[in-house]
Amino acid sequence: MNLSVIASEFPSLLLQGTALGLIYALIALGYTMVYGVLRLINFANSEIFMIGTFTSMLVQTAIFGYPVTAKSLHGFQLIFVLVVTLILSMLACALLAMLVELVAYRRLRARGTNRLASLISAIGTSFFLSESVRILTGSRSKSAPRLLEKWSFGEFQGANFRIDTVMSIVAAIVIFIILNQFVSKSHLGKAIRAVSMSEENSKLMGINLNRVITATFAIGGLTTGAAAFFFMVTYENTVFNVGFQLGIAAFTAAVLGGIGNLQGAFYGGLSLGLLEQFSSAILGSQWKSVTVFLVLVLVLLIRPSGIFGEAVQQTRT
Amino acid sequence: MINLRDKGAEIWENWNRPKRTTFTLIVIGIVALLPYAASFGPTSFLNTPITSFENVLVYPVGMFVLMALGLNIVVGKSGLLDLGYVAFFAIGAYTMGIMSTVYGFNAWEVLPFGMGFAMIAGVLLGLPALRLRGDYLAIITLGFGEIIRIVALNIPATGGPNGIAGIPNPPAVAGVKFDLPNPQHFFWLVLFLILLTIWMIRRFTVRRPGRAWEAIRQDEDVAALMGVNTLKYKLWSFVIGAAVGGIAGVIYASKVMVIAPQMFTFNVSVLILACVVFGGIGNIWGVAFGAVLLAYLPERIRFISDARQLVFGLILILMMNLRPDGLLPRKKREHIKHG
Amino acid sequence: MAEKLLELKAATIKFGGVTALNEVNFHVNKGEICALIGPNGAGKTTVFNVVTGVYPLTSGQILFQGQDLAGKKRHQVTKLGIGRTFQNVRLFGDMTSLENVLTATDVHKGSGLLGNLFGTPRARREERESRVRAQELLDFMGIGNRAEQLAKNLPYGDQRRLEIARALGTEPKLIMLDEPAAGFNPAEKIELANTIKKIRDAGYTVLLIEHDMSLIMGISDRVAVLDFGQKIADDVPSVVQNDPKVIEAYLGAPTDAS
Repeated sequence: MNLSVIASEFPSLLLQGTALGLIYALIALGYTMVYGVLRLINFANSEIFMIGTFTSMLVQTAIFGYPVTAKSLHGFQLIFVLVVTLILSMLACALLAMLVELVAYRRLRARGTNRLASLISAIGTSFFLSESVRILTGSRSKSAPRLLEKWSFGEFQGANFRIDTVMSIVAAIVIFIILNQFVSKSHLGKAIRAVSMSEENSKLMGINLNRVITATFAIGGLTTGAAAFFFMVTYENTVFNVGFQLGIAAFTAAVLGGIGNLQGAFYGGLSLGLLEQFSSAILGSQWKSVTVFLVLVLVLLIRPSGIFGEAVQQTRT
Repeated sequence: MINLRDKGAEIWENWNRPKRTTFTLIVIGIVALLPYAASFGPTSFLNTPITSFENVLVYPVGMFVLMALGLNIVVGKSGLLDLGYVAFFAIGAYTMGIMSTVYGFNAWEVLPFGMGFAMIAGVLLGLPALRLRGDYLAIITLGFGEIIRIVALNIPATGGPNGIAGIPNPPAVAGVKFDLPNPQHFFWLVLFLILLTIWMIRRFTVRRPGRAWEAIRQDEDVAALMGVNTLKYKLWSFVIGAAVGGIAGVIYASKVMVIAPQMFTFNVSVLILACVVFGGIGNIWGVAFGAVLLAYLPERIRFISDARQLVFGLILILMMNLRPDGLLPRKKREHIKHG
Repeated sequence: MAEKLLELKAATIKFGGVTALNEVNFHVNKGEICALIGPNGAGKTTVFNVVTGVYPLTSGQILFQGQDLAGKKRHQVTKLGIGRTFQNVRLFGDMTSLENVLTATDVHKGSGLLGNLFGTPRARREERESRVRAQELLDFMGIGNRAEQLAKNLPYGDQRRLEIARALGTEPKLIMLDEPAAGFNPAEKIELANTIKKIRDAGYTVLLIEHDMSLIMGISDRVAVLDFGQKIADDVPSVVQNDPKVIEAYLGAPTDAS
């Protein structure tokens, strides 16, 4: 237990926690939006993230052809490569998300089988994806080339404002603002909100349920893909089971903030990222997951609706 | 399309007591002879390449069947998705590991403790978790399983990443030795436990507890309104499932003699779940059959073994989409009386 | 002087911005058949739900045999002696009719898991008694021959009867029927009316929600009318039938005849 570290490292922890937290927030969107329309946890989102990270890496090593030891790029070339990588990651994840919806959820929804079946199917999908990647890439982590030189804007009280940290934070905020506008102003956004509130009524209003659900999965995929891209820029390597821990963390963030709710994903992610950084510093990083789970349990027991959200379905005993 | 289970049940119904008893004894006898099948000419094709057939029968086959039956009580009978079942297995195993190497207890003495600690864990986890609906219960149980593994990985008492070695085999009982040269004795022990578990489940099923669990599984709200104390029954199914897992853990540790945290990952929980799902949620014979198949085949066929987890994931997807009731679905026999 | 079996005092329940029940004062006397009527959305099923402990009251009290039901869990309310059926049939579809009723007759049994596991004499006796009682109830409702059939395979009318048999299984003092005649033809409704009278004569108190006026007026001792969560009438059937407020609630204000 090392409490003094809070005082000495505070600004750094704050900054790192924010960056990590916003990555969580982006992944959390994948969980929270799907839960909003389907009332189901999209278990496979963790693997969608994982594949996003591999896509990011592969775009750079296979499509652009940069070896792992490549020197960093500059100027237009850098921006071009980064943008293309980001877009392809987002697209890959969106497509995969839509596929998952088709395979794991849609058929079961049409049949009206119980939720247990949907959940088990999603778990199977998750497992299948992570194992496939393990067979293809091996159990050890893979590195991506460092194309972005990690220069810093400067230091402030120990907090290092590196380009990748700042980029993650700014981009995440931008994505959230765009998404928020989309959900409140656009036709599809309103349809999504309608379905979240009442599936029955939405159908009566003539909303094409399948399209809305597919779109929701796709949007969740886009944000998760973005998170995967920023994750790779910051950490530069990935492994077949990277999704497991991050998925649980992102899901916890969604619940913490209030599931079904955009704001909830944002603030939940932020809070969890900060919590993780600080508890890591105090207790040591091996207890990270335990901290996350305990947060989840506590939230579900004490304030199931999260900071902003609607009540989690509880059984009334 | 013939429903195997219904056909079987139909035949069974038409037999009287003595016939049923003889049949059961014959089947048990045949199963008990399995450890010798690999060396017996006509059945030697059953032999497994890497680990010997006799050992495979104990782990994974026997253990998976036992644990699948335990998980079935929770998932199949009560409809509660527990993704952290491996935690109870781990608690049983580590109880054996610690109590034997540090305090010198033998396996038989540890058995009630392993079971007891697992049950306590079941209560501690169940009390908060069972108030939540399906998906959330699933995630919390998953978390619990992971917490147990991480704790085992990081505290000195459990040996950290190296685990615990030198766990003794159970001492001989009435001359029957439970050691390396005698895997068939372990098998018979596991077989006995399986039969005991089956007996217990059947006792519950046709009576009040079975009805209460079934009612909870089908419509929990209505069950409560019909006077069923849903929390109590859910907790009980959880705890009984935990007890079975704990017992399996103790036996496992005393057979393999070395345990480590990487043996108790989330993957194991999913594997056991796959057994339950594959065979037929809620249905004892289906679950046992599914477990035997899923545990044995990867050992027999190398190709599947490498991609074992992949196949299991695929099974979960396919089964839920195509046959959510499993290969041997539970169907009630109806008798339509006219009059 | 009639004994009040169930009493709602200033019962109010709000869901977000909607007030589903507004200061409702209402009671059911022991041994009577009381009907609760009102237009759709008036709050009738909500009354059932607050009494059985599905929703907590925002304010007010519910007394059953003089005992406050506040904070009681659903199964506890059932054990105190309140049974109910549902607007949409909610049987345990994959269980037989007998098993459906057995889940209810199990309620007052004392034997728990261990008793059943080891087959104690008490457990075995209670199981036997439960089965006898369950079959009796099925016979009482005229579906004795359906005992071994799966509930989901029963014809609609028998499913409704099974729901009532199951509710009776919990040995209620008060049985609450939510639209028991929904989907019945006139002949079936007459049969149902007789059954409800039979139930009352057997010693149960009945509270029912219904829309069929002739059914209600024919068998009820008293009728209470809800509209927009408030009680607007409460008297014998003949008086309520002619109450202008009740007529207005059902048909709308005189000018918009639709």
